[in-house]
Amino acid sequence: MLRQRIIFTLIYENGFFNQSRNFRLQKVGNIDWLEENYKFQDIAFSLDEIIVLNVSKRDKNLSEFATMLNRLVDDVFIPVAAGGGINSISDAELLFKNGADKVVLNSALFKSPDLVRSIIQHYGKQSIVASIDYIDEDVFIENGTQKIDMSLDEYIEYIESLNIGEIYLNSIVRDGTGFGYDTDTIRRISSKINTPLVIAGGAGNEKHLLEGIDVEGVSAVATANLFNFIGNGLPNARKYMLKKGCNLAN
Amino acid sequence: MKIAIVDYGMGNIRSIVSALKYIDVQNIIVSSNNQELKQADKIILPGVGSFGKAMQLIQNKNLDSILNELVVQRQKPVLGICLGMQLLGMFSDEDGFNQGLGFIDGNTDIFDSNNVTVPHVGCNQVIVGNLSRLYQGMGDILDFYFVHSHKMITNSDIGQSMCDYDKGFIASFEKDNIVGTQFHPELSQKNGLNVLRNFVELF
Repeated sequence: MLRQRIIFTLIYENGFFNQSRNFRLQKVGNIDWLEENYKFQDIAFSLDEIIVLNVSKRDKNLSEFATMLNRLVDDVFIPVAAGGGINSISDAELLFKNGADKVVLNSALFKSPDLVRSIIQHYGKQSIVASIDYIDEDVFIENGTQKIDMSLDEYIEYIESLNIGEIYLNSIVRDGTGFGYDTDTIRRISSKINTPLVIAGGAGNEKHLLEGIDVEGVSAVATANLFNFIGNGLPNARKYMLKKGCNLAN
Repeated sequence: MKIAIVDYGMGNIRSIVSALKYIDVQNIIVSSNNQELKQADKIILPGVGSFGKAMQLIQNKNLDSILNELVVQRQKPVLGICLGMQLLGMFSDEDGFNQGLGFIDGNTDIFDSNNVTVPHVGCNQVIVGNLSRLYQGMGDILDFYFVHSHKMITNSDIGQSMCDYDKGFIASFEKDNIVGTQFHPELSQKNGLNVLRNFVELF
């Protein structure tokens, strides 16, 4: 049986990992802090995937991000998706070469569908995670700062027409709140798409992860909450979910 | 033991290299150079992306004939991973008809998106075939990480282990020296590392 997945998302900005709340960032620590508090070589066995997002606003410094990625994924034998600020095929290539198995695209989906197509042509559709940030029916690009002229439903339809591998649906309102996922919207979207759906925004504990994964059609639950799952938080959440009968790899 | 990873410009080579290092393979070469590949004891053919494009790159670098010499004539063990596994087969219907390397009797076809969500992504259970060496000492039903939109099927006995998705597809095969996994052992944690170890030690 195809398993559902737990994904840990890391929000990176200019050398630091951040706790994001409604897209406002709070610096938490650099990669040394992260390695000290989240031993990925150990806890990766409790995760299904890692997503690393470069949300640096001005200078994205992609090569510095790639260097960090390369260090982060050392001896981590699970898939890693990375993105943020990919504007060309060579940007994507840089991340693939430094340990990304997939790239995450957000603004580029809207602004450069040709880039999306050329990444697909070279790396395959499964190599693209389409990240969508929304508030109610509105969709935002550029780190949540720019509203686009399409409703969430229209945008999802457009995204599926690009023939990408997965959709990463992130609620800006729930982001970092720990109030739980926006299950109403997730339920509505998941019932009408045929692309694997990763949900993000709001998970503050293992009960929320469980609640999200139980929504019909959800492939994966993601959390970017650096505080709530520190240390053994993620392995413990997985244990809890397996005990509750979740369909996770073990 | 010298293991060569064929670098033809498509594939997640970094993760494979670090997984091999992790299981203590000392001598790893990443190359598309004929002379270098000839020195290897075992070969890994990775691959991510489109079948037609991959075959084109392989032919441009004349790797099809060198692989034929190493795998068919000299019987060196080869492990194809994901698209690399599919390339070992006869042909694919992805983006029109494309001939594969033809080392194994199997074809690649697209998943039926009316039946299942495509791509097939995440861990899924592999039902281990009889007399498998690849999964030796591991169990009968095992989780591995898959990410692909096409599946390999066959009517022959190629030592296949199956996965149940869209009427079933070949998760791996092992026929003499020719081995392929549709899943990514390098992204499948302990199970994946064990499969790589078995390939290195038992083939």
